[in-house]
Amino acid sequence: MTASLETGSDARAAFLGATQAGDTYHAMHAARELLRQGRGDHHLSFLRRELDKATTWSPPLVPLKVALLSSFSIEFAEPALVVHGFLNGLAMKIHRGGFGQFRQQILDRASQLYAFEPDVVILAVEGADWVPALYHRFCGQADADVEAGVKQVCEEAHALLQTLRGRSAATVLLHNFAPPVRRQLGILDGQAGRGQAQWVYHLNESLAAVCREAPGVYLVDYAGLVVRFGAETWYDERMRLYARAPVAADKWGHLAVEYMKYCRAVRGLTKKCVVVDLDNTLWGGVLGEDGPHGIRLGSEYPGSAYRAFQQELLNLTRRGVLLAIASKNNVADVDEVFAQNTNMVLKREHFSSLQIHWQPKTESLPQIARQLNIGLEHVVFIDDNPVECEEVSRALPMVKVICLPQQPERFVDALLEDGLFDALALSAEDSRRGELYRQRDQAEGLRAESGSLEEFNRSLGMEVTIAPVTKASLARAAQLTQKTNQFNVTTVRYTEAELVERMRSAEWLLATVGVRDRFGDNGIVGLLMARPDRAALDIDTLLLSCRVIGRSVETAMLAFVCAQAGRRGLSEVRGRIVPTAKNVPVRELFAQHGFTQAANGDSGETSWSLSLAGGGVTWPDWMRVTVVDGNAAPEA
Amino acid sequence: MERRIKQIMADVLDLNPKSVDDSTCQDRVASWDSLNHIQLVLALEQEFAVSFEVGEIEAMLSYPDIKHVLERKLGE
Repeated sequence: MTASLETGSDARAAFLGATQAGDTYHAMHAARELLRQGRGDHHLSFLRRELDKATTWSPPLVPLKVALLSSFSIEFAEPALVVHGFLNGLAMKIHRGGFGQFRQQILDRASQLYAFEPDVVILAVEGADWVPALYHRFCGQADADVEAGVKQVCEEAHALLQTLRGRSAATVLLHNFAPPVRRQLGILDGQAGRGQAQWVYHLNESLAAVCREAPGVYLVDYAGLVVRFGAETWYDERMRLYARAPVAADKWGHLAVEYMKYCRAVRGLTKKCVVVDLDNTLWGGVLGEDGPHGIRLGSEYPGSAYRAFQQELLNLTRRGVLLAIASKNNVADVDEVFAQNTNMVLKREHFSSLQIHWQPKTESLPQIARQLNIGLEHVVFIDDNPVECEEVSRALPMVKVICLPQQPERFVDALLEDGLFDALALSAEDSRRGELYRQRDQAEGLRAESGSLEEFNRSLGMEVTIAPVTKASLARAAQLTQKTNQFNVTTVRYTEAELVERMRSAEWLLATVGVRDRFGDNGIVGLLMARPDRAALDIDTLLLSCRVIGRSVETAMLAFVCAQAGRRGLSEVRGRIVPTAKNVPVRELFAQHGFTQAANGDSGETSWSLSLAGGGVTWPDWMRVTVVDGNAAPEA
Repeated sequence: MERRIKQIMADVLDLNPKSVDDSTCQDRVASWDSLNHIQLVLALEQEFAVSFEVGEIEAMLSYPDIKHVLERKLGE
């Protein structure tokens, strides 16, 4: 115990030094070290206060304003929320409604909640506070009365969410309810027609339905969280009654981590790729010494633990995460394992990039990122060797490094506990992403074969579909704004709720772009948003997924904007480039399409315009473009 | 133990650990409000692996009181 304060002093000094210098990565490293050494809450208090004092960071943090509305004293989660936000690159600003004031804050148009202009609103209400009929007042009630109570809560939640949605485009996180720890029917509860626990689950299903219907509203599975840690250790009955703080001291941090999964997704920080080592990571033992059949992998421990880990990695690919290998091994040995060891859950084709050689991993990782066209900050590196982990952390601080524990049975937790791959939506594209990258690789091969770029584009046999954003494509459209970094003119992130606001307005032109080619369907890969400003149609967002960069789909998008501007009787199309570290591929977009540069904005931003008098951008004739007409307004 | 208590009080209440002494009490420290009092108690519980009763929590209103309660607790 004493050690936590003494060894912590080095990490503290390092943290203070880095904070004063505004050195983001070193401050994160020191903060992680401090938290690793001592889980004590006072470390969080210290870190939170110093973070509040810090003003500038390099690289800069992404601001996020979070409003906490609760029926209990949720302020105990604040230090952890600020600190974990920082560890994820977010500068958190927090507004807290008075406890139990969640209804008033939402209903009062002039409340501090709306003045705060939150990005995320967390509605954390304990079941016992909102639905006493299911908790302490449960016994002796008729089913019909309980049912009426459940219905009333759902209706109230629906009405509150509607009100909130009407006044704020914030992402909303609504807690579901954990069943009571002690059941009033005792051992009968599980078997009774509807015991207390079943009623709570029934209510949770109804609440989930309410959330599904409301754009930008997500259910926080609080019941699942309590189960994960166990109700006996989750709660502190003493503090519930004494300080209206029902959660045990060491669990507030876990609640904050759960919120952080959503915050990360809202800000486009979801990880896209896992790079794994091989020896003692995908299997036990060393391939070069044990041979393709001698490595530990199979139905018996420890081989069973490595298989379980491989299975979870495979499951991640179905959520759209890419897999890659960075290993110091002989390629021929690894090929032999893939070809011969039938215990391998992961096959060669599940990996989108392989770096198997004896060069340092600090070279392999940038190579993989380049090949997959993703930023290193979207890469997770997993290795059992602490030295290689440290080497990567130091050389490539933007890479999230998971240094595996000694015991292989703990690998799955290490992979999944922080929810690094959690996204707010799962699109049809996600489950096929690995396959899509393989298609792209085939297309790249074709590019190498064919002579001119136009010839290459023709040979792809592209079919481009430009369609209004619909309820069905809404999640994908928001996801594209959150995840696209390279071919993105303004890199503004939007939530589903913000897009819905635009869908409702007649003046906004919103369109998704789908691309098929002879290698398969890439799904929705582009998004366009524009609105009239005086005589011009002004492009707010134009982005393309990196899968289809360099195939002149953007030419079709600009031709579409010109056509739409013409239809609306406008005489000009305008656009802006807001330069970021990532969007080099899009910088020349307007110049290449005949736009003239207008005045330069602040911080390197450039403005461009194209008069339609000259005919605008012409449709590329090497692809088939289908424009789906329709009213972009969603059903209310 | 004294140094650990002082460090925790300093962290939670935003004080210099060196300035925490026998005169440090709730009435004299502006940041020692009811919320920080609970934070302080919870941090002490974690650091010393103990659990206080509400009566003890209400008695821990100064540095000497905290030390006294903890000593009794750890001596049990």
